[in-house]
Amino acid sequence: MSVATSMRAKRRGRPRSERFRQRFEMSVLSVPALIMFVGFVILPVFMAAYYGFYRWKGFGKPNVNGQFIGLENYHIILTDPNFQQALGHTLFIAVMSLVIQGPLAILFALLLNQKFKGRGLIRTLIFVPYVVSEVIIGTGWSLMLQPNGAVNAVMKNLGLQGVDWIANPKIAIWTLMFIISWKYIGFAVILMIAGMQAIPEELYEAARVDGAGFWRQQWSITLPLLAPTIRMWAFMSIIGSLQLFDLVYIIWGQYVSSTAGTSTMATYMVREGRLANNYGYGSAVAVVIFIISLVIALAYQRFVLNRDLAGAVEKRERKQLERRIAKRERERMERDEIEEAIAPNNASMEVATS
Amino acid sequence: MKAKSVLAATVAAMTIVGVSACGGGDGTNADGKTEVVVWMNSTTGDGKKFWEDAAAAFEKEHANVDIKVEAIQNEDMDGKLQTALQDPSSAPDVFLARGGQKLRDVVEAGQVMDLTDKISDQVKTQMKTALDTTTIDGKVYGVPQAVLPGGIWYSKDLFKKAGITETPKTWDEFKTAVGKLKDAGITPIALGGKDAWPAAHWYYWFALRECSQSAFDEASSDMKFTNDCWVKAGDDVKDLLDLDGFNDGFLTTSAQQGASSSAGLLANHMAAMELMGGWEPGVVRDLTPDKKDMADLGYFTFPEMEGGEGDPTAMLAGADGMSVGAWAPQEAVDFLNFISEKEWQEKYAEAFVTIPAAKNAQSVVTNDALKQVLKVYDEASSVSLWLDTVFGQNVGNALNEGVVNMMAGKGNAEDIVKGIEAAANKG
Repeated sequence: MSVATSMRAKRRGRPRSERFRQRFEMSVLSVPALIMFVGFVILPVFMAAYYGFYRWKGFGKPNVNGQFIGLENYHIILTDPNFQQALGHTLFIAVMSLVIQGPLAILFALLLNQKFKGRGLIRTLIFVPYVVSEVIIGTGWSLMLQPNGAVNAVMKNLGLQGVDWIANPKIAIWTLMFIISWKYIGFAVILMIAGMQAIPEELYEAARVDGAGFWRQQWSITLPLLAPTIRMWAFMSIIGSLQLFDLVYIIWGQYVSSTAGTSTMATYMVREGRLANNYGYGSAVAVVIFIISLVIALAYQRFVLNRDLAGAVEKRERKQLERRIAKRERERMERDEIEEAIAPNNASMEVATS
Repeated sequence: MKAKSVLAATVAAMTIVGVSACGGGDGTNADGKTEVVVWMNSTTGDGKKFWEDAAAAFEKEHANVDIKVEAIQNEDMDGKLQTALQDPSSAPDVFLARGGQKLRDVVEAGQVMDLTDKISDQVKTQMKTALDTTTIDGKVYGVPQAVLPGGIWYSKDLFKKAGITETPKTWDEFKTAVGKLKDAGITPIALGGKDAWPAAHWYYWFALRECSQSAFDEASSDMKFTNDCWVKAGDDVKDLLDLDGFNDGFLTTSAQQGASSSAGLLANHMAAMELMGGWEPGVVRDLTPDKKDMADLGYFTFPEMEGGEGDPTAMLAGADGMSVGAWAPQEAVDFLNFISEKEWQEKYAEAFVTIPAAKNAQSVVTNDALKQVLKVYDEASSVSLWLDTVFGQNVGNALNEGVVNMMAGKGNAEDIVKGIEAAANKG
């Protein structure tokens, strides 16, 4: 008896100290990561917001060496045609990346999901550009696409007239789109293949038994079941497009991207902030970019990704269930009312007949 | 289990301490020597060696000083300096300064030492002209090392091949020369538009020739480009474009990096000339196939514009100098005075193939093209600083980009002025 009580007491006591210890460990172990996160992510956001209210050259302190101008920086940003262009280019790249890379990646993934000789090699090859750093890719392509570079030399040998791929403002953005697609399609393909492999083979077998052809199977089985993967990839692609900086910076340099029509929000920020020594203005641009990205990301999560997020499905099912129960309840009540309404008549009819 | 979590906690705690312990440091190093950190922009070759040699020689004379020379890539210099200057403990004691608004910004933030009473007599007397570029409101904030007058650098061999016997003196002669070069199948002019300023230099020079000196100086100080001559200079740029004399894809050609850059084109005889500053012989040398001086490099000043109000001998120039941080020890100033002595100025001129700032060291210039530059420079009626340096990075970049836009067929001279005004609002 006494042994049993002491054991129970021990058992009751242990979880509490265990929980405390666990919490202690968790807090100690997460502090370094938290310091990093707060120091290098959260704090800079607030610092940028603070600097954004000043006209400041970046030397000394903004409240000493700068001048408080309230929202003036934001007013200039939103009315600056260069920023509007950069925003336009960024959105264009975000949309075109989805339009070009999405279908292509699915087709490639379909192909590479079949069994054939050399599949591993092709899978690797298509993934290689994604692994290579943007600086190397930017330098390589900008050398090849020079007016007297390799691409135009090949075209000349084929009897075609080459063009100035990167300096001509009408072509430059499409050149950029091509390089982006070439670089990032491998990533999309790998994601899609992974998504396809998670689809159970039985579904295809069943479809074949029912007489569905290849394309019919892809349309009715692969695409719907691949949807979560596609939505996730699209999210990453949009975020990548919003942040696009290195490729443009390497190929078009510090100054001519707006002339060539390939400036992005990030290159605008660096150009007007760091390169122009306007650290107050540049910080305000950073805040605007942050807000635009945040709004887009949250909207996407709320309206597109919400089906894929953990708990979303259960919540929806629970709601449906509740709705169904409520409906049944309502129907029963209605039926009762009708029955009640009918009942006296019946009774009177019964009386009448009898 | 317990030991493991204790270990993990220790590691975590140490990380926290480590993160917060970053930075710090004062003027002395472990040996108790005074440390002077120097930031310069020569990352390779003779230039880098010059700074190392100078540091070693100075340390020999001053046993208690440790000069740490750090080479920073030129295009990274401004940004790194900006960040470093936020905290004196991370900032260099001596750093590259090119005068103009850029230097003024740092001076106004109180981060540069006033050297007026600290510079040696050698600097005061022999560098008098060059010292103007680092003087702000009558006070000296830097010591120049080199004067870098601009002009057109050309390949004598290619000019000969095209049948040009005399260097062009007027704009019409220049146009004829471009035509002859094109007829001979030679790209007449190399231009590195990717860096913007090389394109803008054409505009500065046109303006210098079109504007009267007073109109030019006025715009330099108040940034109002109201005089007609600025529009005329814009028209001249259009005129130049119509010659179709630039290398293909000049808009995305860089100025100094590699053989495909504009300086590389000149160095490898792929283009006949380039409008550049006085650093050109040194830059071109590093880009020739054998990394030796370009034997047939020549120089002539910017041609005279017909009907222009500017003096045809007026020049644009830059100056490379060094400033001292407000927090730096006396030894930093001593080091600058040390390398301003005749001996080291001569070595500087040889290492960088350039014109030293000190007059008594200029006799060491042997390069033909540089001798020509010196001659023109001594006869110049006036010497103005590059406009982008005068205006600082903010307005200067807007001006440069405006010119690049115009060269790409977007906008005109009025748009340049608009861009300048818009930029002035931003900072």
